[in-house]
Amino acid sequence: MSKLLDFAKKIEPKKGTLAHTLYDGFFTFLFSPDEVTHGGTHIKDGMDLKRTMFHVVIALQLCYLFGTYNIGHQHFVAIGEHTSFLEGFYLKLFYGLGKLLPIFIVSNVVGLGIEFYYAWKKGHSIEEGFLVSGALIPLIMPPDIPMWILVLSVAFAVWIGKEAFGGTGMNIWNIALLARVFVFFAYPTTISGDEVWVSGLASTAAGSGAEYGLYHDVCNWLFGLFGAAGFNEAATVVDGFTGATPLALAYQGGWEAVTQVYSEAQMWWGGIPGSIGETSKPLIIVGALFLIATGIASWRVMAGMLLGAVVTGMMLNGWGATPFMEVPWHYHLYMGSFFFAMAFMATDPVTAASTDVGKWIYGFMIGMVGLIVRILNPAYPEGWMLAILFMNTFAPLIDHYVLEANMKKRLKRA
Amino acid sequence: MELVNIFIKSAFIENMVLTYFLGMCSYLAVSKTVKTAFGLGLAVIFVLGITMPINWLINNYLLAEGGILGQDLTFLRLILFIAVIASMVQLVEMVIEKLSPSLYNSLGIFLPLITVNCAILGGNLFMVTREYNFTESVAFGLGGGFGWFLAIIAIAAIREKIRYSNVPAPLRGLGMAFIITGLMGIAFLSLLGIDPAAF
Repeated sequence: MSKLLDFAKKIEPKKGTLAHTLYDGFFTFLFSPDEVTHGGTHIKDGMDLKRTMFHVVIALQLCYLFGTYNIGHQHFVAIGEHTSFLEGFYLKLFYGLGKLLPIFIVSNVVGLGIEFYYAWKKGHSIEEGFLVSGALIPLIMPPDIPMWILVLSVAFAVWIGKEAFGGTGMNIWNIALLARVFVFFAYPTTISGDEVWVSGLASTAAGSGAEYGLYHDVCNWLFGLFGAAGFNEAATVVDGFTGATPLALAYQGGWEAVTQVYSEAQMWWGGIPGSIGETSKPLIIVGALFLIATGIASWRVMAGMLLGAVVTGMMLNGWGATPFMEVPWHYHLYMGSFFFAMAFMATDPVTAASTDVGKWIYGFMIGMVGLIVRILNPAYPEGWMLAILFMNTFAPLIDHYVLEANMKKRLKRA
Repeated sequence: MELVNIFIKSAFIENMVLTYFLGMCSYLAVSKTVKTAFGLGLAVIFVLGITMPINWLINNYLLAEGGILGQDLTFLRLILFIAVIASMVQLVEMVIEKLSPSLYNSLGIFLPLITVNCAILGGNLFMVTREYNFTESVAFGLGGGFGWFLAIIAIAAIREKIRYSNVPAPLRGLGMAFIITGLMGIAFLSLLGIDPAAF
């Protein structure tokens, strides 16, 4: 190990070059830097930004695994092959990888590219703020998103949302959600409706064919070597398949319309169409518990958000003017992306409120606004993305007044 | 219920600043600290809430064809509305100077400039085109003012927070304020499209 370190030190490029910026970024990834702070400082532990971020990436791994598989699963359900969950395991896995990997690579190359450029331009070491955003963005996109739209959205989020504000840790709005909201408003057909959540089909109408390309031919050849079945080029969408998400169904016909298509267990475990990483609730909860245990994410925000959603859900149940309002409040927790938003989006320590009381208020308001947008706003099927961006706007204000109230209290005591 | 709907709609769903981009000048200029923004926001709520019913009365009983003068004088609407707004602003100015001289000083020229704040004249003209009745116009005035107040204190808190951020030099100050306003507009889009009257 020490030999490796010596070698790494030997190839260190000259300071101030782009090569050095790159080198420094990767070096601190692997080793703690040996430079120490001069003068008096207080150190809690060895947890620096990079390791904090990496914990979030670890917490997301289960979502990645499941998301990859679920892309394939939904595709095969649509064409009526291997419809039980574990059938055709390798096919579904390879299909999902073929979709997810390009999205992951493109969003990271674009995001990190912009970040590296600015780090070099400003002459400081790479901040790696994009590490988490780059892990989150693929999970909140539909599987069939065109690459050029992805590039535009990531560039928008990193440039306008982060670098304009002065880099990592300075942004006011959540980067990953800014990327998604950009797609949502600029190219709405790629991210809403019934057609986009199941991948690899020309359309979800019965009889339309599956779209297979070179990648699938290569896979077929590979599977052929082992004597296993490959992708069926002649497959078509089965009768009666709609591709609608539970929320779209609930909007039209309430809870009954949902249960006609999906069982509760399916919605809970995640074998439903949706954004790539948000469908499986138990795995997200595992990730959330990991984040709480390591102290990265704030349990106050999560608890506040849960409370806000439950209270608002109950109030709307009491109102009950449309079938969607009558959907019992606890079903709202696992129909859409509530858990994903709660665990990974709302808790972003940079954009959330930073005082303890503020976190409760911030979380509660997200839960409330999110359900209001989801249920009362006919224009949007899901509310959490917009609710979190909405409350990001007010997080500094909440902090301001919490601090002011605290100062007043202390002045009175003194 | 109707009044509550109008209030919520004008405050959140069709926000004066973030949906119609009205009243930008004082919104951008006085949003550097939360304290002054708070003061100006309250002043705007007051002026909107007071001028709206007064202008409603003027519009319906003085200028409209069935009014006391018996003539269609609606071409005078703009000038009369501005006169009412200006006199109300004068009133607010005197009250603030008396009650809080420090706020009066920090608001500076922007307090009299509320007179030409397009959010206020715009709100008054919306009231005419949307044909609100008297109580509705009060609700609309208070709601619109509250929305403006909310927007300006939110951006003021954000601008206080990014004061020590390493913002690229060309964007410092107003450039950043415009970017923040745009992103706030995106965030406020979350409520656009809700029709409170539909339920």
